Amino acid sequence: MSSARMAWLASLGLLPAAAWGLLLFGPPAAAVLVVSIAAAAACELAVTLPRHGYTLSDGSAFFTGALVALMMPPAVPLYVPAVASAFGILVVKQTFGGLGRNWMNPAMGGVVFSFLSWPGLMSRWAAPLGSAAAGAEVPPLEALRAALAASGPRDVTPLGVLGRAGYPFSPMDASAVGWVNSHVLAPLGAALPQGSFDILVGHVAGSIGATCVPLVVAGAALLLARGVIRWHLPVFYLGTFALLSLVFGGLGTGQGWFAGGPGFHLLSGNLVLAAFFAAPDPVTSPLTDTGRLALGIILGVLTFLLRFFGSLADGAAAAILLGNCISPLLDRWLERRKSRVMEREAA
Amino acid sequence: MTDAGSGPIRPAAMREAPAVLLLLGFLPSVVVAVRVVDALWMAAGVLLVSIGSAVARSLLDWSSGSPGASTVGQTARWLRALVVSSLLTAAFEAALLAVAPAASAALGIYAPLVAVNLLAVGTDAASPRPLRAALGALHKGAWYAAGLVVVAFAREVLGAGTITLFPAGGFGGTIVVSALLDQPVRALGLAGGGLLCMGYLAAAVRAVSARKTGRST
Amino acid sequence: MTDTTKLPKGGVNPPTELPGPRDHAIVNAALPNRAIIPMLQHVGRPAICTVKRGDTVSEGMLIGRADGPQSANVHASVPGVVAAITEIMLASGERCEAVHIDLGGSFQTSGKPRTARPWKSLGAPELLERIRAAGVVGLGGGAFPTHLKLARTPGTCTLLAANGLDCEPSLGADDALLREKAPEIVEGIHICQALLSPGRTVLAVSECSADLVPELERVIRDAGVPAQVVVLPARYPQGHEQLVVAALEGRPPRRDPSSVAVNVATLHAMFEAVVLGRPLIDRVLTVTGTTVARPHNLKARLGTRVGDLLEECGMDPARTAKVVLGGPMRGVTVDSLDLPVTKATLGIVAFSRDEAKAPRETACIRCGSCIEVCPWDLNPTRLYKLIRMGDDSQAAVEGLGRCTECGCCSYACPSRIPLSAVLGDGRRRASALGNGGGRNV
Repeated sequence: MSSARMAWLASLGLLPAAAWGLLLFGPPAAAVLVVSIAAAAACELAVTLPRHGYTLSDGSAFFTGALVALMMPPAVPLYVPAVASAFGILVVKQTFGGLGRNWMNPAMGGVVFSFLSWPGLMSRWAAPLGSAAAGAEVPPLEALRAALAASGPRDVTPLGVLGRAGYPFSPMDASAVGWVNSHVLAPLGAALPQGSFDILVGHVAGSIGATCVPLVVAGAALLLARGVIRWHLPVFYLGTFALLSLVFGGLGTGQGWFAGGPGFHLLSGNLVLAAFFAAPDPVTSPLTDTGRLALGIILGVLTFLLRFFGSLADGAAAAILLGNCISPLLDRWLERRKSRVMEREAA
Repeated sequence: MTDAGSGPIRPAAMREAPAVLLLLGFLPSVVVAVRVVDALWMAAGVLLVSIGSAVARSLLDWSSGSPGASTVGQTARWLRALVVSSLLTAAFEAALLAVAPAASAALGIYAPLVAVNLLAVGTDAASPRPLRAALGALHKGAWYAAGLVVVAFAREVLGAGTITLFPAGGFGGTIVVSALLDQPVRALGLAGGGLLCMGYLAAAVRAVSARKTGRST
Repeated sequence: MTDTTKLPKGGVNPPTELPGPRDHAIVNAALPNRAIIPMLQHVGRPAICTVKRGDTVSEGMLIGRADGPQSANVHASVPGVVAAITEIMLASGERCEAVHIDLGGSFQTSGKPRTARPWKSLGAPELLERIRAAGVVGLGGGAFPTHLKLARTPGTCTLLAANGLDCEPSLGADDALLREKAPEIVEGIHICQALLSPGRTVLAVSECSADLVPELERVIRDAGVPAQVVVLPARYPQGHEQLVVAALEGRPPRRDPSSVAVNVATLHAMFEAVVLGRPLIDRVLTVTGTTVARPHNLKARLGTRVGDLLEECGMDPARTAKVVLGGPMRGVTVDSLDLPVTKATLGIVAFSRDEAKAPRETACIRCGSCIEVCPWDLNPTRLYKLIRMGDDSQAAVEGLGRCTECGCCSYACPSRIPLSAVLGDGRRRASALGNGGGRNV
């Protein structure tokens, strides 16, 4: 298992999510993917060819381009992913020394740069193919914000809020949820809200690669199985986020304690994609499992704060950048602890 | 930091309160250098005040009879430089308000930070000859101005799609870069973008000067 | 009574594609026509040559006298005539004198039964003298003079560990000795106990030798030697003496003066020295490799040419690109097959062209694999960076001295950075010792 193979496996892990995105959003999404990867590759070659030779075979530029693309809205003008990838490769990665030397995740750097530069363009969503209803191009997370800002019923789950605001879920969702409710949950006295199937399967608007969480996880399972990433960071990240959003999530919108809708929030936005493919990037995450665990918790807290109390609808990318800054500190603390142990033993 | 960019930071000043000085020194550049015209006014202020205080200090040294020697202690020397540059900064501010009120409003509270930039630019003993002192200050101030304007130019063109200069005659003062006006790269107009531009400028200067001296960076 | 304890941390499981001759009995290697016997086969000062060209030597005759206390005797492994005394370069790069003996004459002692000498009434000094006279050194690769290692005040040793684990994957000499020479090894343990009076005695064996445990316990019981047999996992580098002791005491590894670990081959040599009066003139080593047709545990006379042993085991020179003395993880690559087998030679491994290809080194991606596998709880990537930046002293502060160059970090690194080699170099520079942890040649 060489580092190049790890990077190519990571790109392979993105394939299920990318395929679903292409299926859902069609040719515009394909164009974004191609342009993003091409820009990343071109920038990498421009810098490394004169000095180190052909480095594209190490797979990391390709992965950066792909990840940037998967976090872009499908209808974004093509220069946005191009500049985002270029920023990630040229500024974040190559300026600081190339592979292994970046202190910030290149893809997340590019994505956040785009958010800050073109906030309007980064909201050029598209309706999923097959959904012609008005409002279908607004992702659930953004729609939820709008709905809560508008009227905010006080005691309903996020999907309930969306339902009352008239968010267009698909007919398949209606029949699937209806079936589950009547056959499985009715005897238990519970009921899934409308829209559960849609957000689970990912038949909603959103970033190209982040809508279908199960496919993202499936790709990530490949990485976990082959040892490309370790489970500590993503699990503690998502776990902390889920716990916090469950307990405190409803407070900001007046829904009370333990009413945050963690299921909805885990399935919306770029969170899971970022948690499995961006946060555990070996270069910017801690060296030890304890460090990864700690960073996972920190990222969970940061994402929770940014998403529920911040102005960004989905705080994952920005939280990861903050986490990148904290990683070396975690490594340093662990090193100090180790050398104290060694000094004690030598004494 | 090297000679260009947000202002050369002298080791002496750094020892006194490095973090605070760095912050105050960065602030004007990061916040002000977003439009070319603001950067030009800021640079004008720094130039005028630094030349003025260099001349004033050299005259004071001359009059106290011992150029460069320590009849005046270090702290006193520092305080004296502070008072002189503060006075001159206040004068500059007042003059700006009179001459170009719009610019004064644009610079806002960052105009007085000219004084802090000067502390950063250098409080070492000015040459005893006023003319030489003035030329030295002009040299340093010109580098500061150049750096500031370059950064402001990059940030305005890419970050806002315009180039704002002094209105003159029929020229309204704003050149528009039409390709970028619609969707400029707004991130460069933010503080982070400012630091990014300053960083690259500093790196470029360092690379060029290293090549001149034959060292590798 | 047996129980299984584990490596406290780290270690790797290299795939044992190399045919491991664990099922192969020990075979006597062919005698060398010319034996080249170096004066330096141990840690310490080289022996002083006591013969000259043209002398006739008998089997087992002293040909090199220990030079002072930190040295060991060297004996002729075959009878014959001294053909030459030259300076040779060992695989480690050191130079020393070597005596070339052309085989001839009769074997005084081989093939004839030896009478066992009584030893139980002897005191420590006499026992140590018998060991010293025979030139016994650590045969597990350390090559430290055994009479020095075992010269201690009685009562200072809390644990005596007989190390029956082959320290490298694909080497099987210790396992073979346990199978065939258990009574002799146990008597060696008994001799150590007489010298050290340890609080606890353990015979540690690898999982691969676990089937031997009942037999070993029987031999121990029959000999009346108070000892316990413990099975340790086969993970590399569990066989390193610090890790054996650490596993037995249930704590992290460190240099520990209160415990003594002796390799079973050394114990066997001690038995031969003390009981049979036979000097150290041969050793069991493993010859293996993918290009070796008949891998074996060979009992070879010291001074046998490495190339001859490889030939005997059917190495294919056309397919072999690299030969290593020692084991696949820590062994030293040799560029000449004319080198002799010495007391420190654990094995000879031949590699094919594909196996020997040096992988392309890429940038460190800070994956942390090296930290995970380091059995000594070091931070190899950080130490590597410190050494590359020239800061050997800071690296020493951060634990570089504990590095034993086991090679686990290099093995685990996905960027194929030669961490272990760089760390080892740095350690030697920082400590300015000749060869910190024994020799493998």
